[in-house]
Amino acid sequence: MFTIHLSIVVFLPFAAGLIAAFLPARVGRWLVVAATLGVLGYAIAMIADFDGDSGGLQYVTDDAWISELGIRYQLGVDGLNLFLIALTALLWAAATLWAALRTEDRPRLFMFNMAFAETAVLGAFCAQDLALFVVFFDLMLVPFYFLIGGWGEGDRVRATTRFTIYTLVGSLLMLAGAIALGVLAGPGGDLSFSLAVLAERPLEAGTQQWIFLLFAAAFLVKAPLFPLHGWVVDTYRATPIPVLVVLSAALSKVGVYGFLRIVLPILPDASQHFQDLMIILAVVSILYGSVLAFSQDEARLVVAYSSIAQLGFIVLGIFSLSELGSQGALMQMVNHGLVVGALFFIIAVLTARAGSTSLARMGGMALRAPVLAALFLVVALATLAMPGSPNFVAEILILFGTFEDKLVYGLVASAGVALAAVYMIRLFQRSMHNRTEPSAEPRELGGLDLAVIAPLTVVIVALGVYPQVMLDRTDEATTSKVEAAATAADGSPSAAEAPQAGPPGGGAPPGVQVQP
Amino acid sequence: MSATGYGWLVLAFPLAGTLALALGWRLWPGRAAGWIGSAAILGSFAASLGMLFELLDRAEDSRSLVGTAYTYADTAGFRADMSILVDPLSVFMCLVVSGVSFLIHVYSVAYMTSDRGYVRFFAYLNFFVFSMLLLILAANFVVLLMGWAFVGAASYLLISFWYRRDTATGAGIKAFVINVIGDVGLVVGAFLLFDGTGALDYAGVFEEAGNAFGRNDGQLVAACVMLLVGAFAKSAQVPLHTWLPDAMEGPTPVSALIHAATMVTAGVYLIARMHPLFELAPAAADVGAVVGTVTLLIAATIALAATDLKRVIAYSTMSQIGYMVLGVSVAAYGAGLFHLMTHAFFKALLFMGAGSVIAAMGGVQSLDKMGGFRKAMPFTFATFTIGALALAGFPLMSGFFSKDEILAFTLNRGGGYVVLAVAGYLASGLTAFYAFRMVFRVFFGEPVPEARELERGHLHHGDPANPATGEKEDTEVGFPGPEHHVAEQAWPMKAAMAPLALLAIVAGTLGIPGVTDTLEHFLEPTFEDSRFLETHPSESSEWLGLALGGGLALLGIAVAALVYLRRPGTALQLRERFSTVHTFLSNKWYFDELFDAVFVRPMAAFGRFGRSIIESVFVQGVLVGGTVGAVRVGTSLARAIQTGELRAYAFLLVSGLGGLVLYFLIVSV
Repeated sequence: MFTIHLSIVVFLPFAAGLIAAFLPARVGRWLVVAATLGVLGYAIAMIADFDGDSGGLQYVTDDAWISELGIRYQLGVDGLNLFLIALTALLWAAATLWAALRTEDRPRLFMFNMAFAETAVLGAFCAQDLALFVVFFDLMLVPFYFLIGGWGEGDRVRATTRFTIYTLVGSLLMLAGAIALGVLAGPGGDLSFSLAVLAERPLEAGTQQWIFLLFAAAFLVKAPLFPLHGWVVDTYRATPIPVLVVLSAALSKVGVYGFLRIVLPILPDASQHFQDLMIILAVVSILYGSVLAFSQDEARLVVAYSSIAQLGFIVLGIFSLSELGSQGALMQMVNHGLVVGALFFIIAVLTARAGSTSLARMGGMALRAPVLAALFLVVALATLAMPGSPNFVAEILILFGTFEDKLVYGLVASAGVALAAVYMIRLFQRSMHNRTEPSAEPRELGGLDLAVIAPLTVVIVALGVYPQVMLDRTDEATTSKVEAAATAADGSPSAAEAPQAGPPGGGAPPGVQVQP
Repeated sequence: MSATGYGWLVLAFPLAGTLALALGWRLWPGRAAGWIGSAAILGSFAASLGMLFELLDRAEDSRSLVGTAYTYADTAGFRADMSILVDPLSVFMCLVVSGVSFLIHVYSVAYMTSDRGYVRFFAYLNFFVFSMLLLILAANFVVLLMGWAFVGAASYLLISFWYRRDTATGAGIKAFVINVIGDVGLVVGAFLLFDGTGALDYAGVFEEAGNAFGRNDGQLVAACVMLLVGAFAKSAQVPLHTWLPDAMEGPTPVSALIHAATMVTAGVYLIARMHPLFELAPAAADVGAVVGTVTLLIAATIALAATDLKRVIAYSTMSQIGYMVLGVSVAAYGAGLFHLMTHAFFKALLFMGAGSVIAAMGGVQSLDKMGGFRKAMPFTFATFTIGALALAGFPLMSGFFSKDEILAFTLNRGGGYVVLAVAGYLASGLTAFYAFRMVFRVFFGEPVPEARELERGHLHHGDPANPATGEKEDTEVGFPGPEHHVAEQAWPMKAAMAPLALLAIVAGTLGIPGVTDTLEHFLEPTFEDSRFLETHPSESSEWLGLALGGGLALLGIAVAALVYLRRPGTALQLRERFSTVHTFLSNKWYFDELFDAVFVRPMAAFGRFGRSIIESVFVQGVLVGGTVGAVRVGTSLARAIQTGELRAYAFLLVSGLGGLVLYFLIVSV
């Protein structure tokens, strides 16, 4: 089976960026915007056309690439990446549109890097070959290095250095892990990096464990989770808004997506073995990120730390190793991308009006900007996972999935839901309500800002009204990914008492955990 | 049309109203928005009547109908439909909520006329009513949570309606966060039930609960207690009550609607709705009964000392809801819901009267500055007094029958419940006292200058300043706009107050012991599975209870008359004689200070520690090896001194969950 659709989706932005680089900036920037819109159209068509009942890959592209090493050019879509591709396409369309209207400094190079970055992220989401995934994963770093270093604000040198070093170290560890995986799993030189093949060749539990740690390091840095978030503060401060939108909305999802796509199916025993460790990291991230989010004065950092907490929820859902939890996690990846993208655009609008990113300098915007206030309110309520928002559906699935086997961790994590209410409503109130600072110039959203922010809000509301549209299509894929790890026996004797009563994930929960 | 068809209509009207007002906010001239909002709620009320008649046409055993619109979320064993449940309980609640809401909308049409946020106000108000009706009609926990949280959000928006006041926005956040804590309680409770029964819809949960859980099963008790956390947060029961008095920062119609008649009764509704579970877990029901009693006592004592007119009424609301929670927790469902209804009438009426008085005072709310409004505001005086009589439980008024029925039922349960009933009777004496303390201080005595001005036909408009801080108001988001409106001069306000006054008098006839039991009979199909359906106090003991309650009400009123009318200096003397008690009460039992010491400061310290030590030294310093250092520690320490108090509530949750964790550790041994 061979279709070219996915190759078009992945490389369309890059091609457009390349051509645009040789066109006048006026024309070129719109060419890139058009390409991102084209990808978005493709993504929507795929969602509409998607066969939700088939658990397997669709639109597969499978070609030999480096046959000596068994590396294949293998792309495919299933429930796991369908909506992440759409999310990427949507946010890149919004971000490039935003940038096309504003970037005056070296616009062609900027747009080229944006387009390049989209190709890399889409490639990472579509790749079905581990080596190909690693290539795209590392490729992502290149455009972001130039975007932050070249167009950043404030102390961009430090930000770029930190971001690069941190993610590079993670990438290298993953590269080592990927090579080890392919070599050790390939008996007698029959090398293959195809994810489907690797999942059929289980490694010894001990081997799985150290490879797991290599992957986890890369993915957790990307997410980021506590305590590997050292790059976040400087990067989030310095990165220009359109780049920040795609960085926090789409890029951060590649890491957690990697857990579901690669780690759980291929390293099931190790996933089981490190379950508690990962859950603890997730719970600590939720609490720590939330507390710091409401201790910040800078609007961008409130959202930065809130992202750490939200990513904590996602990792919690994945490592609950239950169907409910991973369904919730996958849904939350999309939801978080949507809200965080909208939030950063709104913060950009606010910053322009207040003349500062400090919350102390904002306030009272709602009076002159009721539309902005209304959109911000919807996004803020969705971010704090208010029932009725898609984020709520995701979080309740994550929590239910966690409660099943890990009740205590789940209860601690659910404190994060209340903490989210504190930091989000505080952010809303400080910027929209109370008195206006004399230095601020409150005014309504412009038509073009509205054209970027309103569609994101509409998607959030629509998913809140009918979340089943997503759950229907992702159900089969997440179930199959989490199955192996959920039923894996833990290799280490110390954890032999790990609860195995009733397969976690088999329909109705067993209800054994909390019976006295 | 079928009953569920009407049920969807009940929801559709206010939703359409919200959208029309919100999306077309620039289009509506003058008072149009107010009338559109009111019409939407009237439509809901009419549709509720439609549901009622459809149900009455059906046999008693088939009066519970579920209507499903579409599958909301269905994955991996988790299944929730977008569905509504129409049964006598939800129809009763819909009628009360949409009826009272309609009158409050009409009142607001005049009261809010000169507010610059007129359209925004009605959009919020309609959204609130939609949420409340969704909460009531929900047929499963997911839809319930949706309504539950929307109500909280609408309440937040309305409390901080005058958002240029930082006291209002602070109060809004406090209310919102405590409500979210309640939401989390509900989520955990729903999981514990789902875990046992595999269902999320009420019917499935109730059906399976009997098989899945034994009587007082640990998990079921925990589930019910978590549901109670949700109920307490919404219904302002101790210790999750501190948001309600602060919520009086909102416009007065909001206080009447949300913080008296509707939202705060959601907890009572929830307990009644979940009665099959609470009857299976009597230990949890007892928790509800005790907390209700504690709340009704504490709130009644604080109301004795409060000097802000609206806050006195707010504490009285807390106290009355304590009665309702006690009622539904001791399985006096009919009585608890009866009181819910009569309370909605007379409390909305009291708030409307208070709004009229406050408008006459030019925005001042302090009882110390009021007096002698009897002649200036005869209509407000008459209706407010009727409300106060009903609140006090004056013989033959509506509150008289409903409150005393709860207490008679509690007494009848015997054992430890007698203590609760005695506390309830004690507080009903206090209730009568503080109700008439308001009446006498506002309407009797020497007329204040504002009252004299009004007697001469001129309404005092005062200086727009925030009474809490003295800060000059921003009249663009204005308290309450450049002009004020009193019932005497605005017919929509009168038109809203008159029917409520009538209902406050006569609504008691729906449940006179031995004479009528219309309401209880109507609700019976919902509660027919109750073990306590047949256990009623005897008629004679009910009348004895009524006599006792009536006597206490008269006594309370008499004492208030003595203290405030016959010997006006007495109150001051008492205050000096018992200054410790007075300080304790006027500081509201130090609940705010307690939370501050136990949660706020430790949480703030943790925030400082996180920013200055963990981030700077550990994450940035050790892990990144960067050059961040002492400079940042110093600056972040300096900035960290500015801390709000909202994080307290978040921390409260952490420790609450900690308690539950401990519980499970004990149970699972």
